[in-house]
Amino acid sequence: MLQVEGVVKSFDDFLAVNEANLSVQKGEIVAVIGPNGAGKTTLFNLITGQLPRDRGRVVFKEEDISELPPYERCRRGIGRSFQIVNIFPRLTVFENVQVAVLSHQRKSSTLFRPAGNLAVVETGSLLESVGLSDKGKNVVGSLSHGDQKILEIAIALGNEPELLILDEPTAGMSPEETFATIELIKRLARTRGLTILFCEHDMDIVFSISQSIMVMHQGRTLIQGKPEEVRNNSEVQAAYLGGE
Amino acid sequence: MSGKLLDFKAAGFTFVLFLILLLLPPFIPRFFVYILGLIYVTSLLAMSLNLLVGHGGMYQFHHAVFYGVGAYAVALILTKTSLPAWVAFIGGPILAALTGLIIGWFCVRLTRLYFGMLQISLCSLIWAIVYRWYKFTGGDDGIHGIPMPRFLSSLNSSYYFILIVLALSFFLLYLILKSPFGSTLQAIRDNPQRCEAVGINVRRHQLRAIVIGTFFAGIAGVLFVVLERSVFPDLLFWVLSLEIFIMCLLGGWFTFAGPMLGAAITVALRTFVGKYTEYWTLILGVLLILLIFFLPEGVMGYFLGVFKSRGKGMAERRNP
Amino acid sequence: MGFLPNIGPAEFLSQLLVGFSRAMILFTVCAGLSFVLGVLRVPNIAHGSLYMIGAFVTFSLSKSFGGSSGFWFALLLAPLVVAGISLVAERGLFRHLYQREHLMLLLFTFALALILGDLVKIFWGAEYRSVPAPDILKGSISILGASFPRYNLFLIFIGLLVAVALWLFVNRTKIGKISRAAAVDRDMVALLGINVSRVFAGAFVIGCCLAGLGGALVAPTVSITLGMDHTLIIEAFLIVTIGGLGNMWGALVGSLIFGVTQSLGVLIFPQFAIVFPFAAVVIVLLLRPKGLLKSVW
Repeated sequence: MLQVEGVVKSFDDFLAVNEANLSVQKGEIVAVIGPNGAGKTTLFNLITGQLPRDRGRVVFKEEDISELPPYERCRRGIGRSFQIVNIFPRLTVFENVQVAVLSHQRKSSTLFRPAGNLAVVETGSLLESVGLSDKGKNVVGSLSHGDQKILEIAIALGNEPELLILDEPTAGMSPEETFATIELIKRLARTRGLTILFCEHDMDIVFSISQSIMVMHQGRTLIQGKPEEVRNNSEVQAAYLGGE
Repeated sequence: MSGKLLDFKAAGFTFVLFLILLLLPPFIPRFFVYILGLIYVTSLLAMSLNLLVGHGGMYQFHHAVFYGVGAYAVALILTKTSLPAWVAFIGGPILAALTGLIIGWFCVRLTRLYFGMLQISLCSLIWAIVYRWYKFTGGDDGIHGIPMPRFLSSLNSSYYFILIVLALSFFLLYLILKSPFGSTLQAIRDNPQRCEAVGINVRRHQLRAIVIGTFFAGIAGVLFVVLERSVFPDLLFWVLSLEIFIMCLLGGWFTFAGPMLGAAITVALRTFVGKYTEYWTLILGVLLILLIFFLPEGVMGYFLGVFKSRGKGMAERRNP
Repeated sequence: MGFLPNIGPAEFLSQLLVGFSRAMILFTVCAGLSFVLGVLRVPNIAHGSLYMIGAFVTFSLSKSFGGSSGFWFALLLAPLVVAGISLVAERGLFRHLYQREHLMLLLFTFALALILGDLVKIFWGAEYRSVPAPDILKGSISILGASFPRYNLFLIFIGLLVAVALWLFVNRTKIGKISRAAAVDRDMVALLGINVSRVFAGAFVIGCCLAGLGGALVAPTVSITLGMDHTLIIEAFLIVTIGGLGNMWGALVGSLIFGVTQSLGVLIFPQFAIVFPFAAVVIVLLLRPKGLLKSVW
């Protein structure tokens, strides 16, 4: 479903991503791992279009999307949640998700009907599926960090994506919240037929739910393969145990 | 969002206020009718700016030019052509919105600060041309004695016309703000990157907002001509742009009607202080400094804050 | 109407010089504006008012000192008077706002502009004033068949002097280097134990002093009126914008573009002379939205 081929991105003199390759099959759960600064978030930004790449290609559903702006990539079925909570601070929980749903329904520019009456059912059911429906009217500032990260995911789901990219979905969560979030992700993947690409620092999670793991180191792709292959790979072990 | 109850109260209050204002002219001196008319025009201008700045988060630094374009369009159509008045009244906002579209198209590609600076330069160019084109626009004299249709011949009838158009515009702006367009606009204000990530074409949305905002500025320009029967280059000068910015700030720019309050206060002050001294600009400067130091949320923001904390206090007393 | 009459090389050269000399006045003012913008990150709207005060003070001082030398005294003292005013405003009010958002600082400078504008009206009234140039600078010299007013040559000389002095100040003096550092990273400068508030005060006063100098320099060439503050500040702001925010060399480039396009515009289409520099600014910003030279931040 998603192919990243030889993508390169540098900032001034700093080579953040250096010939990264990634392959995601439909229905898979794929993880990208690597030490801090390996370029994972930059890679995600290149896939979703927040950053333009210098070289290389991003192909989604057999279409080269390398030149498309972020909103076009989203409309083709890519959803994204961000590592640092990136929501709409002045809107309520309900409105946060509603923005995404309205966008998906192409109703963002509807002028003369009250927003309160549109996309109510879809937004409501989305909130219910992530467990936030009782907090719908709350302003986001009052949510716990864990709930805000779940809201992140809910917003990303608003566009009914086929590929869901999650950037460190459990960062900053307690063990209970982490477990609940992972269960939520697994359930969503199953019920909505989602393909999931995520990155995480918690290796237990990565190895327990991923079908394929890509390891990044200093902007390069070291290897991509099944969990067992990756676990036993010597280069990977060197990267994690040796060096930084 | 505020609960339904508040909306009914606010709507009722607004409607009653509208009725009172509508019935006022026979009971008050001519001068007050004129001042109220001026307040209405300035309110609409301030609210059109606030759509873009307060709700849209865009650095619309030279909004007055679109107001001036609307006013001059009416003036020119009515004085240089024999087209009927309604053409002028529609032409003003349309021309203003067209100008907004062209200028906006160049500006939305840039990030906030540079958006503002490019706009200042493009709009200043328009001001310079209007200011100097003596034969066509009257240069720094402006155009005076603009003829109005018979139904607007008296001050009172102009007043009614302006108030009704203001009320309609107010209502339309409210609908727009509460619509998906409005909530998406506010989402863009708060987090444009996230909006892109959920499939919103941010630039196109902002451009649409600009067209709407400048359209209403053009309407305000039309109303100005109805009231004053003249136009002059100061309508497009940067000082006015900054003044309406301050009105929005004064009134509170995350509120809906705040800019109206800011406009009312500014116009009222200028009129009444101006009666006692010709140095009203000095007083305005001093008041502005006081505002900066003591009321940064704006007047309406301040009162809303007080209102909310009192409401909270009452709720706590009811449910301990 | 006067659209493109036959322009001989003499007129062209003459106007070019006028453009350069006007650019020097603009540069003096804009360098100050740029400096304040760079260090404090706020466009000083009161800059135009301080320029206007510089001109009016020059008028009063040269009248009271009298004679030809009156102008020289005024040229020396007027910028100091303006610097004094800006110091009072800064220490009294402005500095309490440094922690606030930039918008508040900008509004403060606008309030200051309003107040100073009316103070000028109170002290000097609304009549037009004029200042005669000192005797040695009166009249023109003829070079290559074109006539060059001596005062304009003087302005070009002063402008270059100001440019060199500023360069030395920013690059060779300790205070100048600290100011430059504060422009780029004020927190770092604070961590080094330097009183950032004082750096801001210094930058603001120097910037305003330059505005006053510009006003003193322009005094013999124009009629001094109310409203010169408003027209100047928009020109200065546009110049600083096309030059690159906070960049003093950018202010020089921008001033040259502005001054020369305006004076050549007089040759081509005198009624719309002012439109040419505004159009030039638009063209520059469309091609290079961030300005021609790098912003100092």
